Amino acid sequence: MRTSLNNIAYIEAHLLKKQQPGDALLFDAKLLLDHDLQVDTSAQKQVYTLVQQYGRRQLKQEIEAVHQQLFTQPEHLSFKQKIARLFFRS
Amino acid sequence: MDAVKLQEQAAKRQELFIGLYKKVFPAVAKYVAKCGGSFDEAKDVFQDALLSYYEKTGSAGLAINNSDGAYVYGTARYLWLKRYKEGRQTSPLNEADAANTTAEIVTVPDENKLLSFLETAGKRCMELLRSFYYDKLPMTAVAQTFGFSGVRSATVQKYKCIEKVREAVKQKALTYEDFLK
Repeated sequence: MRTSLNNIAYIEAHLLKKQQPGDALLFDAKLLLDHDLQVDTSAQKQVYTLVQQYGRRQLKQEIEAVHQQLFTQPEHLSFKQKIARLFFRS
Repeated sequence: MDAVKLQEQAAKRQELFIGLYKKVFPAVAKYVAKCGGSFDEAKDVFQDALLSYYEKTGSAGLAINNSDGAYVYGTARYLWLKRYKEGRQTSPLNEADAANTTAEIVTVPDENKLLSFLETAGKRCMELLRSFYYDKLPMTAVAQTFGFSGVRSATVQKYKCIEKVREAVKQKALTYEDFLK
């Protein structure tokens, strides 16, 4: 792997807490001295947050699609009725 | 991107959610209805419980057993009590509490814009990163799904994608600084 990718793997190990304790200490020390590493680490942290948000957005859409399927398609009519009876009793 | 393989993953998730819906939603709905809640409330808490369940188990949870049903039911019930029952009896729902119960990440508008950009411009990378970090698929499965010859090349691509998204994040930070000046 090229150096910049190794650097990403190195930061990832730190952010996802997969380093040995000694390495983690060393990383923290480097972080204090190396401005570029600070910028990269902070940006990379945001990447994982964005991926999490992206995954969650997509999954919510998938769950909603399942909901629509269960409550609109004729083959699931009995399921829909079973639920409806709970809320709309006369 | 191997569209067929990606669809297979999506189909597996769909099957999982349909299974859990059929198995657990009636009990959740019954509980919410009994307590005087609405269908929409039941739907809301149940869907968030599914999300929480999925994030806890990832793709490993693709076979449903009894304890999974209990987890989803328990989470949905807890969320409903927290969001709707307490809110009705006392003061309006505390937003910090709501955020804690669903572990919701607060998105600032700026990040939303970036996310929307990435959804279109970096779709392939975001899908790859999602598979590994969010769906928690093993690297072997990620390699297969995205048509890489092996784990090694998929791993390299994963890091390239992080690099690409990281650049976008940095760009965003720059334009924000410009804006402040």
